[in-house]
Amino acid sequence: MEFEGTFTIEEVSPEEVWLSLSDPYMIKQSLPGCQFLTEVEDPDDVDFEELREAEPDEDPPLLPEADPDEVAARGFDEGSHYAALLELKVGAVKPSFRTVVTIDEWDHPVGSASGEGDASGSSFEMDSGMELSETDEGVAIAWHAEADVFGRIAQMGQRVINPVADRVVSRFFSNIEDQLTEVAEEDESSGLRDRIKGMF
Amino acid sequence: MAEHDITLTVNGNEQELTVESRTLLVHALRDELGYTGPNVGCESSMCGACTVHVDGKAVKSCTMLAVQADGTDVTTVEGLDQDGEFHPIQEAFQEEHGLQCGYCTPGMMMTAVDFLDDHDDPGREEIREALEGNLCRCTGYQNIVNAVETASNKMGGSGAAAGGDD
Amino acid sequence: MSIETEDPSEIDPAEILGSAIERREDPALITGDAEYTDDIQIPRMTHMAVKRSQHAHARIEDVDTSEAEAMDGVVDVFTAEDIDVPGSLPVGWLLETLEQVDHPILAGEKVRYQGDGVAIVVAEDRYTAQDALDAIDVEYERLDAVTDPSDALNGGPEIHDDAADNVAFEWEIGNADETEEAFEEAAHTVDLEVENQLLIPNAMEPRAAVADYNPSDNQIDLAMTTQNPHVHRLLMAGVIDHPENKLSIRAPDVGGGFGSKIHHYADEALTAWAAKQVERPVKWVATRSETYQTDALGRGHETHGQVAMDEDGNITGLKVDTKANLGAYLSTFAPSIPTYLYGTLLSGQYEIPAIHCEVTGAFTNVPPVDAYRGAGRPEASYIVERLVKHAAEHMDMDPAEFRRQNFVPGDAFPYETPVAMVYDSGDYEKTLDRALEMLDYEEFRERQEAAREEGRYLGVGFSAYIEACGIAPSELVGQLGAQAGLWESSLVRFQPSGTVTAYLGTSGHGQGHDTTYSQILASELGLDIEDIDIVEGDTDEIPQGMGTYGSRSAAVGGSALVQSARKVVEKAKKIAAHQLEASEDDIEFEDGEFRVAGAPDRSMHIQDVAGAAYLAHDMPDDVEPGLEASSFYDPENFVFPFGMHAAIVEVDPDTGEIDFETYVAVDDVGNQINPKIVEGQIHGGVAQGVGQALYEGAEYDENGQLLTGSMQDYTVPKAMHVPEMETDSTVTESPHNPLGVKGVGEAGTIAAPQAIVNAVVDALEPFGVENIEMPLKEERVWRAIHENGGDA
Ligand code: FES
Ligand code: FES
Repeated sequence: MEFEGTFTIEEVSPEEVWLSLSDPYMIKQSLPGCQFLTEVEDPDDVDFEELREAEPDEDPPLLPEADPDEVAARGFDEGSHYAALLELKVGAVKPSFRTVVTIDEWDHPVGSASGEGDASGSSFEMDSGMELSETDEGVAIAWHAEADVFGRIAQMGQRVINPVADRVVSRFFSNIEDQLTEVAEEDESSGLRDRIKGMF
Repeated sequence: MAEHDITLTVNGNEQELTVESRTLLVHALRDELGYTGPNVGCESSMCGACTVHVDGKAVKSCTMLAVQADGTDVTTVEGLDQDGEFHPIQEAFQEEHGLQCGYCTPGMMMTAVDFLDDHDDPGREEIREALEGNLCRCTGYQNIVNAVETASNKMGGSGAAAGGDD
Repeated sequence: MSIETEDPSEIDPAEILGSAIERREDPALITGDAEYTDDIQIPRMTHMAVKRSQHAHARIEDVDTSEAEAMDGVVDVFTAEDIDVPGSLPVGWLLETLEQVDHPILAGEKVRYQGDGVAIVVAEDRYTAQDALDAIDVEYERLDAVTDPSDALNGGPEIHDDAADNVAFEWEIGNADETEEAFEEAAHTVDLEVENQLLIPNAMEPRAAVADYNPSDNQIDLAMTTQNPHVHRLLMAGVIDHPENKLSIRAPDVGGGFGSKIHHYADEALTAWAAKQVERPVKWVATRSETYQTDALGRGHETHGQVAMDEDGNITGLKVDTKANLGAYLSTFAPSIPTYLYGTLLSGQYEIPAIHCEVTGAFTNVPPVDAYRGAGRPEASYIVERLVKHAAEHMDMDPAEFRRQNFVPGDAFPYETPVAMVYDSGDYEKTLDRALEMLDYEEFRERQEAAREEGRYLGVGFSAYIEACGIAPSELVGQLGAQAGLWESSLVRFQPSGTVTAYLGTSGHGQGHDTTYSQILASELGLDIEDIDIVEGDTDEIPQGMGTYGSRSAAVGGSALVQSARKVVEKAKKIAAHQLEASEDDIEFEDGEFRVAGAPDRSMHIQDVAGAAYLAHDMPDDVEPGLEASSFYDPENFVFPFGMHAAIVEVDPDTGEIDFETYVAVDDVGNQINPKIVEGQIHGGVAQGVGQALYEGAEYDENGQLLTGSMQDYTVPKAMHVPEMETDSTVTESPHNPLGVKGVGEAGTIAAPQAIVNAVVDALEPFGVENIEMPLKEERVWRAIHENGGDA
């Protein structure tokens, strides 16, 4: 199955978007159903129960409250691996996907990641990527994903899966947008923006 | 899993039973109460083999939870004949060979009875449409449509069923 | 034109054979009294559910059942490691080149289709069993999958270590050299590539089994959805290593089969095995999505067919090359379907001097493919009739007349084809003429012409089909690779009071056997139908049997019944002669009465003879007490029903929508025991053929994931999808059996698809459309029209 689209966020700079999309905490908070997103050493040996228990009650602040340097420091690196627990509602079932993601490429303005998720009776494999570009209105995020789904979910067919995928993607970007728009509305937003810009 | 005490009046007999929240009406009827007339063909409201009447209306009993049916009057195929006399729909299915393996038949007849209650003298196309939610893999439907036509005639086209439901 | 039924109690035994009586099985089926497998409840019964692979092709790295085992209400969980019996499903038909591969009842190392079983749960109730499946954790290493036979054969991922290039077998029939010659000398040749898509059988009752094990006498009682309990018992005894005489298999009421309940699947064997492990009754019932994932599929051919003709349009040669999808493993009778049940029917109704057919069977990552109503014969009839339509068009000849010209003439029977069949009897022009009359053919062609001028597209399609059924002479099928004889057995037993019970080895599941067999017996013995009881589908009661499939019950089972009935009459005659103090040669038997010739008042009814036989106070010398007889009837040959189906459709070129105007079916199934049952079989068969032509098809994505996994995504035809059918018949008796019957169970399914596709292609001729692949969904039809520019 292939999906692609472009999402535009107005009145922001590409650097802000990039920094936000590089922040595992931002992703975790924006991605519907994401219970945690934690960097792991060995992608073949992940104990999801342990990670879930180790998950702190509260996340550190995101931009704009967060210090951009701190956000940059915790941002994605090429070759790093993350474990995530994704709870999705698909039709009548609500599988929890134990997911492992590898950041294949992370170089402003292009990023790509691949991953696999496993739930009882269902699983998926995915390659995805994005590229940012500046437009007259703001920043365009051109994204694409290729997914293979297996098992019970696959059986429900595209009739069920496509709307779910659409819903997840659009919620994800609109959550990011909401968060970033707050950045833009902050009083010192231009100061922050400059600081971020200076980091690139 | 939470359990509930419910009451169902099945074919005129009041029955009390305890079911889980998720128990489907069809499973309550079949497994708990022993009314195995309604059959399970899909559990997903596509085949109609499980059709019964709930308060006189045809319902696919796999789409309803047993707790939702608490306090209702349920008629299964077992309740169609009266005092040893077949309901006209049963007579008609037998006369027209409206069945082969019989698996779809209880649901088919329950849908047809509900339909004939509100439709005098329906046309063949109309009957085919009324049976949209009931699949039969054996008969090719032609003799089922014949049976529903015949039953309609037997019922005098007035919807006044000789015995049966309600 | 529907046949009126009669009340059996009002019919004289002398008239009962051939009358359209009401069915004896119906009272139970219309009141809810019927007992299907899932209706069975046994005290202490547990429920089994199967953990199935989500991948079509993967290595199993680990199966963790600990969480499931710890759940409340879970009795036990088993994986491949626990299977302590041979546990490999057998193949019942071997071919010389066949690669036999292991088919374990639970996959341990590798899964090969989505739905392959990995573990089973036994739990206190069905909901808990399902919940526990979710708690089983299976780790897979996913492998590339392949679902299409040509892709599998051309460098597809290797599915079995032993089957290089995924070749299951290579097979041929006919004469290659002569066929080559015919093509070299041909004045005209045409060819077509067609696909015969994979179908999901969709019996309305899902497969199910209930096993009860008694450890003190090592007895397993298994009730299951089966078309052939004795065959299942024989095979399962080996699979679970249990003595055959301690395994009883019973078919309760069975809600349709269409072939899908012939095969020996893993689940039923697991149910029996699990009952033995947990020492409690075990019930397993497939959910609909499990039937979509695991019922053996039908069809699955990719075929290239070529026809050679002389300058007058006489067919001189036929060449067929087929890649057959066998799925992930060899199902019970899989190897026979795309070979002997296919290649041998490629002569159709035609006199074709030279035929050659090659078939390559391919392993793929879809569920095993086996017999589905028609089994091989629909595929044969489809390619032949599509080619004939194409050839007639090429020759610019009327398709009906092109067929007539090439038919095997009525005086040529028995007719030996170049593909190893000897047709018993036939009169093909008769069914063609009757169909043309019902269609009002000439008038139709005028209407078609006129409609085209108005921009409306009507088309007529013919299907002159033949099938071989009444499977089959044991010695012959043995030579061809069957691992079983295909006789049928019966036992006819009088009780002392004059009632009769007949036991048959066939196993009906909707065909109305109680009725037809009673009619045969009433007629043979001169009894009222009320005095007759028929027992089928129980290895405990019926001595032996081969089951119901391949349209064999009337021709083979019915003949076995006649044979036993006649033995009973013969014995009764001896007793009657003795009682009437006459010579046996002077006794005549008519309408149940033994009479002394010339002395009509000296007579004795067969029911009184039965009483005398059990009383045994006064028996002739050398005659044992009792009145019963059994027989094994082995057919002499296949029987060959035939007929002409034709459809008139209208196609809307703007939407691709197809509307039926008429569907006519003229079938010759030999003598008819109950014409109403025959009509019903034709109706049902045609509806399945309509399904294949227009709606049905199992679709998989490139990973072997089933995309049509529910009744929402796979269209089983609904009432308004099936046209009103006009049926009629001619009767050409089969000389090969005492009843002169041929068989009707599969005729409609074999005949219908090509009648419809030919009609649509005929309608779209102005657009230059020569072929459309089934199912003819609107979008596909629309595309075919517009591929050529969309101009008429
Ligand atoms: S079982 Fe209820 S609709 Fe199929
Ligand atoms: S009679 Fe068998 S499904 Fe309708």
